Amino acid sequence: MSALLMLSTASYAAMPPQAALCGSCHGPQGQGVDPLGPRLAGLPSDYIVKQIKLFQSGKRQNVTMQPMAMTLQGDAIVAVAEYFSAFDVPMVTPHLRGEKAVYKDPTEQLVYQGDWQRVIPACVTCHGPSGHGVGEFPRLAGQQASYIKSQLLAWKEDTRSGDQNGVMATIADKLTSAEIDALAKYFSELK
Amino acid sequence: MKSHHLSWLVISLSFNMGLSAVVQAEALPDKQVELNAKAKQEGQTYLTPAPLSAIPEGEFGDKVRLGYQLFVNSQQMRDAYVGNNLNCSNCHMDAGRRANAAPLWAAYFAYPAYRKKNDKVNSFEERLQGCFTYSMNGKPPGSASKELVALSAYSYWLGMSGLMLQAGVDGAVPELSDSELLKGGKRDEMPLPESIKNVMTLEQRASLPGKGYPKIAKPAQAYSPERGKKVYVAHCQSCHGDDGQGYETLGVYSLPPLWGPQSFNWGAGMHRVNTAAYFIYENMPFGKSYQLSNQDAWDVAAFINAQERPQDPRFKGDIKALKGQYHKHQGYYGSSINGHKELGSKAYPINPKRSD
Repeated sequence: MSALLMLSTASYAAMPPQAALCGSCHGPQGQGVDPLGPRLAGLPSDYIVKQIKLFQSGKRQNVTMQPMAMTLQGDAIVAVAEYFSAFDVPMVTPHLRGEKAVYKDPTEQLVYQGDWQRVIPACVTCHGPSGHGVGEFPRLAGQQASYIKSQLLAWKEDTRSGDQNGVMATIADKLTSAEIDALAKYFSELK
Repeated sequence: MKSHHLSWLVISLSFNMGLSAVVQAEALPDKQVELNAKAKQEGQTYLTPAPLSAIPEGEFGDKVRLGYQLFVNSQQMRDAYVGNNLNCSNCHMDAGRRANAAPLWAAYFAYPAYRKKNDKVNSFEERLQGCFTYSMNGKPPGSASKELVALSAYSYWLGMSGLMLQAGVDGAVPELSDSELLKGGKRDEMPLPESIKNVMTLEQRASLPGKGYPKIAKPAQAYSPERGKKVYVAHCQSCHGDDGQGYETLGVYSLPPLWGPQSFNWGAGMHRVNTAAYFIYENMPFGKSYQLSNQDAWDVAAFINAQERPQDPRFKGDIKALKGQYHKHQGYYGSSINGHKELGSKAYPINPKRSD
């Protein structure tokens, strides 16, 4: 048992010293500490790098994260991002578009088909099947509900930006608060 | 004497080439000949198909549902009929339901259509086969195959439910036989409720507002791939990647590749700069969070289409001959541009297997 544990952790890189501070709110392996800090494990490292820089420039606002991000400079940004990105997160069996034509649950319909009457594309178009995340689009599956909600509200209130063409802000603007709650709950429960 | 001899040879050669071109056209007709795109008009109302939850239970409804499923997850036909990483829904927004994004409901009532290019009437089924050959870089399912029946049934159901809603006709969409479904809706003998026939002619139904992609004005300056590259970096690359290859998650490319081996081929309608510009101006960036200028839409369409992609399936070994026959439009096949010596000369294979 202990040998197995050692094997499974041995593949991860040693924690860069600058990541220790992050670990206090995001967990030492980036697993997230609800409600202090969202899960970083498994997020694309490019995405984490970009977010640190957005906090530094003020395009993304958060009273805790802005000064924290300033402590990271130079190579440390990438080192920290790669460290947390490398931790495995549970696999979610992806639900593929087309598996169903009709979704009785309006939240699932929003996730897999969008609502084009309001020009809201399906979440999974950019965030990947079941919100697995890819490129600049973070993983949503298994993320904390409180965090997903606070971020959708931040996009809506323009305290978060930095997305190309304001894609996410435009979509968040159209979501009702009930939809935001439901989406946050839906993705957080995909584990 | 010598010169006579030579001219005879030239005539004979061109005659032979002409003949083989005719044979070739019959073998693989251009089913993606340009639509007569129309500009958007103020105050236009568009057909709204019924929600998918209204698809009936039973055999006919199952065909409609299968059509939807193949349309949004076309990769389930990979290797059999699809030879790239695209899904139909990549270019037809909202699973073929959205106006001005080449909606299926408008296309369905535009076929069968006479095509000058191959001098024959093309059914809806044949038009769908063209999509598989060119846009999907694959090998089309056979006539009356379950895939073509399903895609026809889905298109028909969207269109007919929309017409019925618009005309205030109650009840279920009339069920059609497979052979009727495959023909398309532009037929005098097409079964239609009287109240729909009375308010719209066959020709009106064949050119419903919102069909295809709306035409936009010509750009003020000649379109340029060089300027288009800047537009691409500023507005497209977060979804389509800095190399245009899109993004894959768990085997699914919901953010599609725009050029290269896994995109549409040199025979697809979207390789035309004007078609791509119309599509992009109306439908991109995704979710319409930003409106490109007319010039930017043309320039970025030029940039995307001045890249190598899979070969035109009508290619018989001579780029110039093919260019002369099928590429007399706004496109870059056979051109030296954007750092390419001759586009098409390094084209990728048609209909490759996923494992290739």
